[in-house]
Amino acid sequence: MAQPDRLERVTDLLLVLLDASRPLSLREIADRVPGYPEGHDARRQAFERDKRLLRDEGVPVLAESIDAEEQVGYRVDPDAYYLPDLGLEPDEQAALNLAVAGVHLGEPIGREALSKLGMGGQWPRRGAPLPLVDLPLVDGLPALPVLFDAVRSGAVVRFSYRGGLRSVDVAGIRFRGGHWYAVGQDRDRGEARTFRVDRIEGLPEVGAPGSGELPEGFDADDVFGRDPWRFGSGDAVEVDVAVDAAEASRVVTELGADAVVERTDGGGVVVRLVVTEVEALTSWVLDLLDHAEVVRPDDVRAAVVARLEAFVTVDGPPR
Amino acid sequence: MSPTHDTASRLRRLLAILTWLAQEGEVPIDEVARRFDLTPSALVSELEMAACCGVPPYTPDQLLEIVVTEDTVSTRVGTTLARPRRLSPREGLGLAASARALLAVPGSDEDGALSRALAKLERALGQGAIDVELDTPELLDVVRSALERGERLTISYYSASTDQTGDRTITPRRLFASEGHWYVDAWCGSAVGVRRFRVDRIASASPAGPAAPEDLAEPLPADGVGEDGLGAFVPGPDSRRVRIAADASMTWLLETIPTAVQGQEDGYPVWEVFVAGDAWLERLLLRLGPGAQVIDPVEDRTLAPEAARRILARYRSRHAT
Repeated sequence: MAQPDRLERVTDLLLVLLDASRPLSLREIADRVPGYPEGHDARRQAFERDKRLLRDEGVPVLAESIDAEEQVGYRVDPDAYYLPDLGLEPDEQAALNLAVAGVHLGEPIGREALSKLGMGGQWPRRGAPLPLVDLPLVDGLPALPVLFDAVRSGAVVRFSYRGGLRSVDVAGIRFRGGHWYAVGQDRDRGEARTFRVDRIEGLPEVGAPGSGELPEGFDADDVFGRDPWRFGSGDAVEVDVAVDAAEASRVVTELGADAVVERTDGGGVVVRLVVTEVEALTSWVLDLLDHAEVVRPDDVRAAVVARLEAFVTVDGPPR
Repeated sequence: MSPTHDTASRLRRLLAILTWLAQEGEVPIDEVARRFDLTPSALVSELEMAACCGVPPYTPDQLLEIVVTEDTVSTRVGTTLARPRRLSPREGLGLAASARALLAVPGSDEDGALSRALAKLERALGQGAIDVELDTPELLDVVRSALERGERLTISYYSASTDQTGDRTITPRRLFASEGHWYVDAWCGSAVGVRRFRVDRIASASPAGPAAPEDLAEPLPADGVGEDGLGAFVPGPDSRRVRIAADASMTWLLETIPTAVQGQEDGYPVWEVFVAGDAWLERLLLRLGPGAQVIDPVEDRTLAPEAARRILARYRSRHAT
């Protein structure tokens, strides 16, 4: 006799578990799903493999205690398995498909998501070449989906960051300037903070759904200030930086036209920045070499000069 | 391929087919097969197998409702296993991030369909959970329309690696955003080859007539999207290897350089980077601070002090208060 197809058994198992109005024991399952071996151990082993396959595929197989000889029963809650219909119109489906095709995440999770929503397979290609967007995602950032889920379920998270343990109520995930950030309220410091996701060490621990307690009116977009030098915890100070024509276009792109307080002859600009971390600003200004100069205030100007003087007085490598 | 993996990917594909089919109604077998990359006979055998699956007592209402005719297949909205399924956090993140990223591209959603789709998606995934910002250089539209129309552009371009601004004529071939910046791969008449330009470093651009066929002949650097993404830096023939000693507090900065490789030497962390121009290395060294030192080549040890002197001269001559 031909080997029974395991896909048929797994599909039957999924149907039976979805249909179950109460947890089913393994014996009851084997009565309803053809293809499990006779012997107890072999049957248990085969079922465990199928259960693992379903769970790996994202099927929420519940194991619950039952009042029977086998003690544990299994089922799938349809509400946890199916998504309420999103009601996507055809043009909306096409737009989502274009987004998935045009954004490179490093792995095909967007495509898998579309399959689950009924938009699987290959879409016909049409139109002009897409602009492509490269987003570093789950690949090197295992913390990212965990944080995303914490936002969705309103849970508090704990993670290790720059050598300390942080408890954070996360309000949102943001991407800017090539990096992902988590925005939230730091519980121990009692302040809104922004964390770079690639600097979170290990996987965050996630509390129970609803365990997060964001302050009333917390606005992630507001907290996520425009620029890295606003992520510090010092007092905010306004700094004017003169940038010459060679770098003006890039700087205005980065900061937005609102930051420009003066346009100088020959294509240069003076931009105004709100700075809470002078060290970050210094690094940013030095990246512009002699195309930029802090104009005011004097103490920030002096900090940049001191940093530069340190280069001039140091000679040779450390050994 | 292990048998377990095989069954898992077949299950995934079967569910994808059923969920799609439920919305489409009756579809020619050839079309479904093409879409899901199966031969027609493999598709039919997979669906006929699934049509036998069900729950005892296997009365018709307890079987998967799949109809396979001579040349079409169909199922019905609401059929078990053909309804949309919940997304895992990774999938939800991936889909929402993709939609947000494309929305951040100016002019990408003129009819609003993507915004509407995202709003519906966020009802299930949580609102405002994720957002993506991309640079929007002033000349992005100009470059994009040249690309779409197949036209040349004369640009004034500031090269960060050599710290020089110059004019050149380019034919845009591919536009993409990586690490938060926009790049255009273009045929460059001056360089006689395909070069990569950062759009926000283009100071001005003006149309320079239609592209010639030879502008489009040379293959682009990576064939579509590579494993390392589009922005991955490929060391050019003129680049040199530089080794830098930097203490651990600077690891985060060096890690942002795609080519940087960390090693150890006499207990010091030592980084090896590829350098395409002096100006690029100057920037890196100034940002690393005076504690970081070039080990070799020896000639590069004077770069940072010289750059610092040059910038100090600017501070001492102008704007002094």
